[in-house]
Amino acid sequence: MAGNTSMLNIIDKTKYAYAFSVTLTVLSVVSLFVWGLKFGIDFTGGTLAEVQFTGSVPASQELENTLKDLGLKSLTLQPTANNSILIRYASEDDKINQEVSRKISENYPGAKELRADFINSSVSQELKRNSLWAILVAILGIMAYIAWAFRKVSRPVESWKYGLGAVIALVHDVLITIGVFSVLGHFAGIEVGVPFIAALLTILGFSVHDTIVVYDRTRENLLRSSAKEQFPDIVNRSLNETLVRSINTSLTVLLTLLAIYIFGGETIRDFSLALLVGVFFGTYSSIFIATALLVTSYKFQMTKK
Amino acid sequence: MSFKRKLLTKFILIIVLALVAGLISYPQTVSKIPPVYAVLNKMKINLGLDLQGGIHLEYKADTSQIDGSKVDAAMQALQDVIERRVNSFGVAEPVVYTTKTGSDRRLVVELAGVKDINQAKEMIKATPFLEFKEEGPDQQIPQDVLDKFNTEAKTKAEGILKKALAPGSDFAALAKENSEDPGSKDKGGDLDFVKKGAFVPEFDKVLFDPSFKDGTVWPQLVETQFGWHIIKKIEQRGDGDPVKSPDGDNGASSLEIHSAHILIAKKTNPATAQKNYVSTGLTGKNLKNAAVEFQNQGLSEPQVALQFDAEGTKLFADLTKKNLSKTIAIYLDGQVVSAPRVQSEIANGQAVITGNFTVDQAKLLVRNLNEGALPVPINLISQQSVEASLGQISLAKSLKAGMIGLVVVMLFMIIYYRFLGIIASVALLIYAALMVSIFKLSAFSPWQITLTLPGIAGFILSIGMAVDANILIFERTKEEIRKGRNILGAVEEGFKRAWTSIRDGNVSSIITSLILINMGTGFVKGFAVTLVIGVLVSMFTAVVITRTILRFVMGEWVEDKLYLIGVKKKNV
Repeated sequence: MAGNTSMLNIIDKTKYAYAFSVTLTVLSVVSLFVWGLKFGIDFTGGTLAEVQFTGSVPASQELENTLKDLGLKSLTLQPTANNSILIRYASEDDKINQEVSRKISENYPGAKELRADFINSSVSQELKRNSLWAILVAILGIMAYIAWAFRKVSRPVESWKYGLGAVIALVHDVLITIGVFSVLGHFAGIEVGVPFIAALLTILGFSVHDTIVVYDRTRENLLRSSAKEQFPDIVNRSLNETLVRSINTSLTVLLTLLAIYIFGGETIRDFSLALLVGVFFGTYSSIFIATALLVTSYKFQMTKK
Repeated sequence: MSFKRKLLTKFILIIVLALVAGLISYPQTVSKIPPVYAVLNKMKINLGLDLQGGIHLEYKADTSQIDGSKVDAAMQALQDVIERRVNSFGVAEPVVYTTKTGSDRRLVVELAGVKDINQAKEMIKATPFLEFKEEGPDQQIPQDVLDKFNTEAKTKAEGILKKALAPGSDFAALAKENSEDPGSKDKGGDLDFVKKGAFVPEFDKVLFDPSFKDGTVWPQLVETQFGWHIIKKIEQRGDGDPVKSPDGDNGASSLEIHSAHILIAKKTNPATAQKNYVSTGLTGKNLKNAAVEFQNQGLSEPQVALQFDAEGTKLFADLTKKNLSKTIAIYLDGQVVSAPRVQSEIANGQAVITGNFTVDQAKLLVRNLNEGALPVPINLISQQSVEASLGQISLAKSLKAGMIGLVVVMLFMIIYYRFLGIIASVALLIYAALMVSIFKLSAFSPWQITLTLPGIAGFILSIGMAVDANILIFERTKEEIRKGRNILGAVEEGFKRAWTSIRDGNVSSIITSLILINMGTGFVKGFAVTLVIGVLVSMFTAVVITRTILRFVMGEWVEDKLYLIGVKKKNV
């Protein structure tokens, strides 16, 4: 079995994968520093209302004039589907919201507030804090779990290195997803809020899930392998054996996500987009990065000896 | 044979489970059998506010003025008051609860299907704080300021009188535009039919003047304590001598006059808020009951009658005794609504607020007074509202996305895994039915699941992930077959080998989902809850349902039809 010619030598192509991933990660970090993320009201506080008009939608300029007296800070108006306009502004107090909706219903009888979200800065601060905590706790929890799950494997690579490999892979997935949204925020105005954090955590879970399946196979093959077979070969064989499964699973998940993205409506479109990006890179990294890291650390270990 | 029998029993149990789950999730299949349909159709998924429309309001309670040990009780009292108010909206199943976030105390109100968000918010927040104040050291408006104001008002009134007297003038329109009597202004100044004595004497005298003809406007301004009136007599009914009955009630006369007026108010010292009033200790907490009354039988202006409790009665008696022939101001939420002059000591604990109320305002005030002001001040810090039509659109779209997702995944599985794919698809359908059943049945447990839009997204995503366990098992089984195992042996081995991967992989999803649930905000929670349930149920379907079906249908017969499961057997 060991010398099967139909096997792809993925491990051999590691340097290309590393180059690709490092480039993308660096670009993501750069984009994050240069453009940052466009935070939604979840994290900045403020009001986001979608108002549907009967008849024609007023021009942005006109609506802006209507609301001028209220002195709304950082007001933006954005027409959306079904005859409505998204109105965003900074607000601390609910009184201003009531005045805005009164002004609108006075000037445009029949206008309907399809939705109105308001978040005070104390809540947005809290959401920000909670989100950061959640990501941190998730990464730590997953690291601990992987270290535990692979505690019995220590030959020839220690179990914590599996954990580290998985974490590097998931940080890679998350960073690239954030990078993509930083670019999308800058060029397409896509905002990042609590749903994005939920997507990131789901990506974390999924990315690790994928990595674990490959590692699991590596563990199994290590326990059964003959002494002759080299570690890099075992890893490569494990990768090949799980390749179809990894791709198929990701395909089914991506298919459902695409269904949500295309048909699920605007409210969850950005959310499903984040998941699409994350799941795609999660599959890529568990095939090309996570396992390659095991081999790299093994080789590094060998040269030191 | 006992293994076969056990397998058969399991298989039958799974078919029963699938049928029950299918019926619960899609009762329309038995719509021809009304009693069964009726029972099944009663089970509904509890939809979140984002899908059925509604508002979620989060208030921060200001507990800084409350003693630490009493905060819990105050929050409970706050919840009770808000619950009462919210119940009066007539909303189905309003939800009110308090939460603790760090040192913050919060109140959350969820209302489904509310039409007017702003009105709902106003009713929740209305905090009528009633207080009686007495005159402090005098701070009268200087007489010359008053005079100047009143001269201007009178000039204005004269101007309007001239317009009202002009032929072809529209009295009602003038009243609407100019009148400063909030009780009648919007009705074009209409005061309806009244008997004699209903109004202040100066007004009354003119109105019942025999020379005042129907449909005309009195040619002079009529000055009363309120200001200057322009009066129009519209019509009269009944008859009799109006002079006899000084109080207007049940006198010999049945004469009633329908009139309208325009009031230009004047300012006088005692009736305005300019006095320096000081607190007396008599507040809304001493209130026993409040009711709407109509001043002087049927005049449009309502008033609010108050009955104090024992302590309040005593306080009020002392207060009126002390302030004889002075004014006592009635403050509502820090504003004077009226400041009547005390005529005599009032010992029966009854007081009246007259404050130019409309009937609706008076009713609202009475209700709020009776229900009590909020025991803790609250401040809105977060709101999410979704209009019902948008909720329905979201629901329809996400269900469509779910259907499409399900079909596409099934197609993929059947195309790639052929016969195994069909089994996986059956398992997937059972999985979906189980999920829907769990959502519906959770209503009968203490842990009711509310399905939100992100929840549906989580559900759809879990369909994609649920297949993963099947894929792992199938790939492993195919591998074992390629290695030369017989079919049943390969299925067993495939399960055994795939299980650790399924378990370990799903644990990581569960970890992140639990962290998300713990984050607590609505969006994230709805998503994570369905994802966790989805992961658990998908493990069950993979390990129990797919396995049993596979064991039952797979057998020797597949050995020479391996193309059915997409395996090319090597000759080992």
